[in-house]
Amino acid sequence: MIDDAIITVKELSKRYDGFAAVEDVSFDIKRGEIFGLLGPNGAGKSTIISILCCLLEPTAGRVTIDGFDVEKNSNEIKKIIGIVPQEISLYYTLTARENLTFYAKIYGLSGKTMKDRIEALLDMVGLTDRADDKLEGYSGGMKRRINIAVALLHNPRILFLDEPSTGVDPQSRKRIYDTIQDLNRQGMTVLLTTHQMEDAEKLCHRIAIVDKGKLIALDTLNGLLKMVGETDIIQVKAKDIPTEALDVIQRIDNVQKVSVDDESMTIELVQGRELMARIIETLTASGTKVESIQIKEPDLETLFLHLTGTKLRR
Amino acid sequence: MKFHIIAAKDLKILIRDRNALILMFILPMVIISVAGLALGGSFSQDIGIDVLIVDLDNGEISKGFVEFLEDIDILDVDMESNEFAARERVRNQEYGRLIIIPHGFTETVRKGQDSKILIITDPTEEDQNTVVEKIVEGYASRISTNVVAVKTVAAYGVPVYSEEQIDQVVDVAEQFTQPPPVQVVTESTSSRLEEFTPFTQYVPGFAVMFLLFTTIGVGAVSLLKERESGTLRRLVTAPISKPEIIGGKIASTFFRGFVQLTVLMAFGHVAFGLDLGSSMVALIVLISAITLASTGLGLLVAVLVTTKDQADSVSNMIVLIMSAIGGSWWPLFIEPQFMQDLARLTITAWAMEGFYDLFYFDLGLAGILKEVGVLLLMAILFFGVAISRFRFE
Repeated sequence: MIDDAIITVKELSKRYDGFAAVEDVSFDIKRGEIFGLLGPNGAGKSTIISILCCLLEPTAGRVTIDGFDVEKNSNEIKKIIGIVPQEISLYYTLTARENLTFYAKIYGLSGKTMKDRIEALLDMVGLTDRADDKLEGYSGGMKRRINIAVALLHNPRILFLDEPSTGVDPQSRKRIYDTIQDLNRQGMTVLLTTHQMEDAEKLCHRIAIVDKGKLIALDTLNGLLKMVGETDIIQVKAKDIPTEALDVIQRIDNVQKVSVDDESMTIELVQGRELMARIIETLTASGTKVESIQIKEPDLETLFLHLTGTKLRR
Repeated sequence: MKFHIIAAKDLKILIRDRNALILMFILPMVIISVAGLALGGSFSQDIGIDVLIVDLDNGEISKGFVEFLEDIDILDVDMESNEFAARERVRNQEYGRLIIIPHGFTETVRKGQDSKILIITDPTEEDQNTVVEKIVEGYASRISTNVVAVKTVAAYGVPVYSEEQIDQVVDVAEQFTQPPPVQVVTESTSSRLEEFTPFTQYVPGFAVMFLLFTTIGVGAVSLLKERESGTLRRLVTAPISKPEIIGGKIASTFFRGFVQLTVLMAFGHVAFGLDLGSSMVALIVLISAITLASTGLGLLVAVLVTTKDQADSVSNMIVLIMSAIGGSWWPLFIEPQFMQDLARLTITAWAMEGFYDLFYFDLGLAGILKEVGVLLLMAILFFGVAISRFRFE
């Protein structure tokens, strides 16, 4: 256990009618850290975050947030956490200011304190000039920025973000990244779940990789990439690759794993650049029409493929 | 307590929703006006209670009695000369009620002798029978006064033989009995029959139907919308208790339903002269009980379905069935007995009974206690089941 951990998750499990959505997951999050939960849809990330937000009770295990137990002290926890849900949880026929005012009152703010806080947050997300427009006229990215502002109304110690950049244009994504980093610099601990590589790579100090309800790796980005070692990934875009060609490629020295789907083939191998010509030659000889071929440097996606044998973006 | 914050937010959203406001107020007003005005002339006939009369006497008093019945708008009076045929027609349920005026009725009444008017009824139409019995009893009571007067005079040895002498005695007796020396203030079922206008039926009928659309349909959809959009989830993660969240949703639905029903009743009164009865307190209590029961049913629908679309179709079905059976579109008492029995399971029937008691019979708060009690029991049942099964996720 980390000494300055603000969140401690120990042997956490959540089962529904025998199905294990989360199974024996343990990790700590340091105070002031941006921590990423990375995994494909259905991996169990949202279940973990729901337990941390006191929305779901764990089947087994223990979770504490700033010393409070999620099963016993949910009222205390709700006051110190802010949640940015994946969906836009706002009222579209109300203005941004009215949405913020509503949630501010729910969080117990009032009077000048409330007004000042709302103005500060509108300024932070760059929407002061649109504050009195109804949300139904906002772009997806603008709505998402207000979605984040709502979670910050009560100045929480910990911010949970569930897929913060899903469906967001590049400009809004950059602003969201800047906002998260600014908040973190001010001392806020951030836990984000994502299946987007970019989110994890650009924001997170440490990343936990989750698949099928289990935590399969946890480290800094560099630490995780070291797990891939010198393995390269070659991705070939081609249709109807003959089985014989696959057999030939699999028998090449230094090829570790070959996986195929309808439109592509992924090859894990060492010394990828040296073997690339031989792979193209094999495919061409088998009559396969290669549309494109690329070699990928190790990244989180290659790590995920390395660890699970499947692609992250399903 | 923070439930009022949620209720106030819901009402702000409602005020912004022009379509919802039209559905709540303008559409019911238009439908009430169209239905009331279109059926104005024929309404009494449409809801009339059929009565078949056999006048075996055919004398002056029996004819006067028949004319009295024919003058009552709510009665559909037909004559039959053959007593046997008339009994058959009632047995075959062609008519619900048969009144037989016996041979020599006028003569026996004039002579101060005992006489009987026979009423034969179809037992499946209890409510209509009661109305007709009350009317006939009222008339018989007046005639009985004359008989008593003639008998009294004869008992004191004053000879009353000629028609002229009898008429003199009856005239004197009527001077003493009109107005009656002891007046009973409670009005009988027959006393205000003429005041049953189309608007007595259609204002509360359609107002209750549209209230149900608001509280069951819109109420359930509003709650499911919060769940589907994730705002409910967000609220649950905020420092507000689950009972406060549910309380806020219930309060906003109740408030909008209460305002809607009150405005529609006021519209009926101002635009069409609907008599709202003498007790405003009773009216407010009844409106509150109806709105509370239907708000509870809306919450129950939200619990039993999983999506907004399901809530829409289920609530529409419930509202239309309850309106048809429960008496929103036609008076309850013209329905066959089995439908009236079935209607007891609906909010609409108890609501309509309550409104009849206030607008038509003017029974005040004491007269609607049964209806209010049943509606409150329904509310407790609906809220109890709904809250115990409500899922926030």
